[in-house]
Amino acid sequence: MADLEESDYSGSESEEEESSSSEEEHERPVKEPRKDAVYDTNGMHEKLEDIGWPDDLDWVQTCAITSHESRNQIDVNDDLVREMAFYTQALEGAKEAYLKLQELGVPFLRPSDYYAEMIKTDTHMLKIKDKLLHEKSKLEETDERRKSRESKKYAKEVQAEKLKERAKRKKQDIESVKKWRKVRQKTGHQGDDAPPIDFEDRSGKSSGSKRGRGGRGGGDRSSMSRQSRDARYGHGGMKRGSKRNDANSSADDSSFRGRGRDKDRGRGRGRGRGRGRGKARG
Amino acid sequence: MGQKRKPVAAESSVLPVEPARKRSLLKRLDNGNEAENGAEKSPSKRDVKVQCKDNKAATLNELVDLKGCTSCLLFECRKKKDLYMWLSKAPAGPSAKFLVSGVHTMAELKLTGNHLKGSRPILTFSSDFDEAPHLQVLKELLIQVYTTPKDHRKSKPFVDHVLAFTVVDNHIWFRNYQISASKPGTEKLDKIDKAHLENMTLIEVGPRFCLNPIKIFSGSFGGQVLYENPFYMSPNIMRSLEKKKKTSKYVKKIKAKQRRKSHIGANQVEPDELAHVFDEEDE
Repeated sequence: MADLEESDYSGSESEEEESSSSEEEHERPVKEPRKDAVYDTNGMHEKLEDIGWPDDLDWVQTCAITSHESRNQIDVNDDLVREMAFYTQALEGAKEAYLKLQELGVPFLRPSDYYAEMIKTDTHMLKIKDKLLHEKSKLEETDERRKSRESKKYAKEVQAEKLKERAKRKKQDIESVKKWRKVRQKTGHQGDDAPPIDFEDRSGKSSGSKRGRGGRGGGDRSSMSRQSRDARYGHGGMKRGSKRNDANSSADDSSFRGRGRDKDRGRGRGRGRGRGRGKARG
Repeated sequence: MGQKRKPVAAESSVLPVEPARKRSLLKRLDNGNEAENGAEKSPSKRDVKVQCKDNKAATLNELVDLKGCTSCLLFECRKKKDLYMWLSKAPAGPSAKFLVSGVHTMAELKLTGNHLKGSRPILTFSSDFDEAPHLQVLKELLIQVYTTPKDHRKSKPFVDHVLAFTVVDNHIWFRNYQISASKPGTEKLDKIDKAHLENMTLIEVGPRFCLNPIKIFSGSFGGQVLYENPFYMSPNIMRSLEKKKKTSKYVKKIKAKQRRKSHIGANQVEPDELAHVFDEEDE
């Protein structure tokens, strides 16, 4: 709504800028009213009397309600305030009018089973509905997107926190082991007290894999298992030449059909086809 | 959309309360699509297109007379961008001319309300209308034009929308709302529960526009000027001002440069005492 209504005031704005360029310090200068504008109060009163409907005219003939509030002072450029003012005026007026109509006892409400031509056609109303639905779905979509973005962010934070925690624990473990070692050295390897960390307990997966390796003597050459290293780096020499023929593969004729058989079959098929065709034609 | 009260003197004196047989005339000059949409579609209105160049007033008055109407609402498009609206009482005046702006037509999908075609509207006016004579005149004109006569044969005898005329910033703002109060039973057409009345809401139907009064004339489409809006500036002048503002850009730039030059000339920087401290040390 703003765009069009502003166009109404674009003129006055241009004036504002004009005056500000001429160094007038006004936020929104009131336009100077013209001094020579005509204002014929008597003439207007006369005309009003001429055209005015009689005072004792029933209210129901005009259904006109004049509100008690002046709304001239509201800020025109604030769309929300302005529209609200119009709305409240209309609402108050409507309520008052309904009460008056009720007092008069004339039927004024439309029966629910009264169907008649509306000012906007059904197709137009359908369009409006479509638009509303579309807007709603759009809003939901953006909401969803925003939510997922936020949850992603949150997950990232959680992950970072986890990593930090893990690093911290690792550091702690290492330190405690060192301490333990020192103590043991000092005391000269006395007592078979276990290291302070329960390795088995701590790292679920890695301990499992270690256990899997089993009898290899617990060497910590690599954290990767043989299998996974094979899978990753390859195993058993060159892979490049695997498609090349060598002496054995070229001697291997298992994939060949025998020449004689091949000929036979070919001819047989050919003849068969030929015959079939001939028959069909003949 | 003006309307007509049959000007039978005897009848109106006997039954002054009978303005029901009104007919009306809605006219458009040139082809104003906006105008068509801006106009309330009411049963008592007759829509006519007029094309006339000179002697507009006489042609229009004749046409109004021909159609048997007493008031006339005329939309006039100029330059394909400025829309003017005339409200006129046909034979003897007065008439008022407005510049219409901020038009939103009913075709816009943003306005979601709907109401019966030809139902009677409630007209609401802000209290400012009673405060100045010119606004009183305008109010009377608006009432006479925008009311759908009671018991008009083409109208529907229900009230389901409300028109709001509000004076803000010396403009008259028009809004049209659908009244939405949940319906009581079908048998009660003349009563509405308190609760329903409390829960009444309005849904805007459109159109909406803003009228800037220009002049009020004593006659129909002309005559002696009774009122002139002292704040009114024609859109042509506005546009030319805007243009002028743009053209003076270069001049402003030159002026700014000159000002800067003179400023620098007037406030010359004093030579710094310490500027050569290190030079001397080197020697």
